Amino acid sequence: MTKNPYAYIEAEILDVIDETHNIKTFRLKPRGDIGFRAGQFMDVTIPGVGEAPFTPSSNHNVKETLDFTIMAAGRVTKLIHGMKKGEVLGLRGPYGASYPLADFKSKEIFIVGGGVGLAPLRALLYALFNDVNDYKNVILKYGARTPKDMVYKNEIFSWKDRAPHVSIEASVDVGDDTWTGNVGLVTTILKNDNINMDNAVAIVCGPPIMMKFTTFKLLDLGFKDSRIYLSMEKNMSCGVGKCGHCRIGPYYACKDGPVFTYDKIKDLPNIWD
Amino acid sequence: MSQNTYKISKKDLFDLFTRLSNDNRVIVPYIKGEQLYFDYFDPKKEDIIELGGVRQSQPLKSFINPPREKVLSQNKTTSKPLIIAGVKGCDLSSLVLQDFVFLGGDVKDPIYEELRQGTLIIGCDCTYAKETCFCIAMEGAPYPKNHYDINLSCIADYFLVDVKSEKGLNLVEKYRMFFKEPDGDDIDIRDRNRGRVMGQIKDHIARRGTKNTAEIKGSVKKNYNLVSLWQDFASTCVECGACNLVCPTCHCFILFDERSKEFAARYRTWDACLYKTFARVAGGANPRKHLHERLRNRFEKKFDFFPHIMNYFACTGCGRCIEACPGNIDLREVLKGLVDGKWNKPPNK
Repeated sequence: MTKNPYAYIEAEILDVIDETHNIKTFRLKPRGDIGFRAGQFMDVTIPGVGEAPFTPSSNHNVKETLDFTIMAAGRVTKLIHGMKKGEVLGLRGPYGASYPLADFKSKEIFIVGGGVGLAPLRALLYALFNDVNDYKNVILKYGARTPKDMVYKNEIFSWKDRAPHVSIEASVDVGDDTWTGNVGLVTTILKNDNINMDNAVAIVCGPPIMMKFTTFKLLDLGFKDSRIYLSMEKNMSCGVGKCGHCRIGPYYACKDGPVFTYDKIKDLPNIWD
Repeated sequence: MSQNTYKISKKDLFDLFTRLSNDNRVIVPYIKGEQLYFDYFDPKKEDIIELGGVRQSQPLKSFINPPREKVLSQNKTTSKPLIIAGVKGCDLSSLVLQDFVFLGGDVKDPIYEELRQGTLIIGCDCTYAKETCFCIAMEGAPYPKNHYDINLSCIADYFLVDVKSEKGLNLVEKYRMFFKEPDGDDIDIRDRNRGRVMGQIKDHIARRGTKNTAEIKGSVKKNYNLVSLWQDFASTCVECGACNLVCPTCHCFILFDERSKEFAARYRTWDACLYKTFARVAGGANPRKHLHERLRNRFEKKFDFFPHIMNYFACTGCGRCIEACPGNIDLREVLKGLVDGKWNKPPNK
């Protein structure tokens, strides 16, 4: 019999980590076999209530537990935020295409994250760190509204210790007494940094307006449109290309994405909305 | 090769439906005023059963991809197999798309698969055409060509029976006593009837200047950024979604979870791309904030996306959306506007 694509497996909440005032990371222990590759997403279900799509933010080599970093934004995410250690969620997936890590080998990897958009990028960073010497450079530029709105505060700056060719820079739109870094939109810390554009890829995830101006800035810096990977996370329901919600031109974000290179979507309407 | 044409009298057909109703859910078309509608076979209502006529009010998807279908629950419920009789050519053509969506690709929808495979479809030729019928412009015909198990063509007080599939053949063999040898000129009579209804539809198409698929091809892309044109098309749209819901090819759905006392259940529920929330995400972003963008999306999906990905225009020419629209938006006129690149607002009905 055909497998039911709408069915989920149970996953117990092992831990809840407060990231910001409206973002939490949930560490889940799936009661069944459900793996993913960085960039793929899953639907997280509150049984009997509803579900929403998220890209895991943990290392795809770790199968026993999965992390989901979730911002309270809609009905389901607000209810998930009220859930505690020991309670049970549902998971189905993984869906979509993963980041093409094989194509990234020996390239300079330029990653730009905004706000909670760092969640799928953390899965990517962990995947890169698994074989960090396979990549020429790993550069992360992260922007958040204020220092308090940064996710993964406790670990983000330690990532540069993974290897000498890993660099991390963050910026906040509005600083506070504790902040000694750059103040300004994330685009203000996007510089050429002696990157060889013929051998570089850029990966972007963040709110739509940030993705838009980051993409334009990356093009200005010389990144090729076919080497800019954008997370186009649309309204998705089924996750398997049937329900019709997440169509972008000739693609379904759930099946053909959610990550697209800019050349594939740049001529389509309203991609930044 | 086994014989595949028979004839069956109306009385024998209704006796057959009565027998089949013991082990099946038998759906037949009834007539009420000018409308035909599907409902369960009821021997007491035999006098208002109309197997010929034109397409019914409900699209075929109502039964094979129902408006609200449980796709996940702890309790597995089984229902009797479905037999739908009197299905018209336009609705059968929509199965090309419904099958592509739900059975194609890497992942099949097992709920659709089970219903679709378990359903026996008895087609029937149209015996007249409505003014809103334009199947021929959409590469269709007012009689079943494919996707049926058995077809009925009205000849006087009996039907010529055409058996298409193994499922259909099994039924005929099981109830062989009802099926008789056809008369020598039955096929000629059937073909003359078909030609007559084709002629009616061609007249409607010619009188209105309805565009065909060859003319429509590329017209959505060509006018995509002509915002004023789309705004004109949408000027009387009230976002009710009726065009989506009555359309036999519209397939979009949303998963909806519900908790009862004992268990959690998940439903696959029809959705409509004319609704403002269709593409909106929880964070608030919406790629189709404006009504004209949502109307354009409907035409893009049908006349650009599906032709592009599967070489199929996702309109069967059934005309249901024309009848259903409270804003009198006539799909034929919108298509004409797209081909001509200008909108000549037709007089109100």
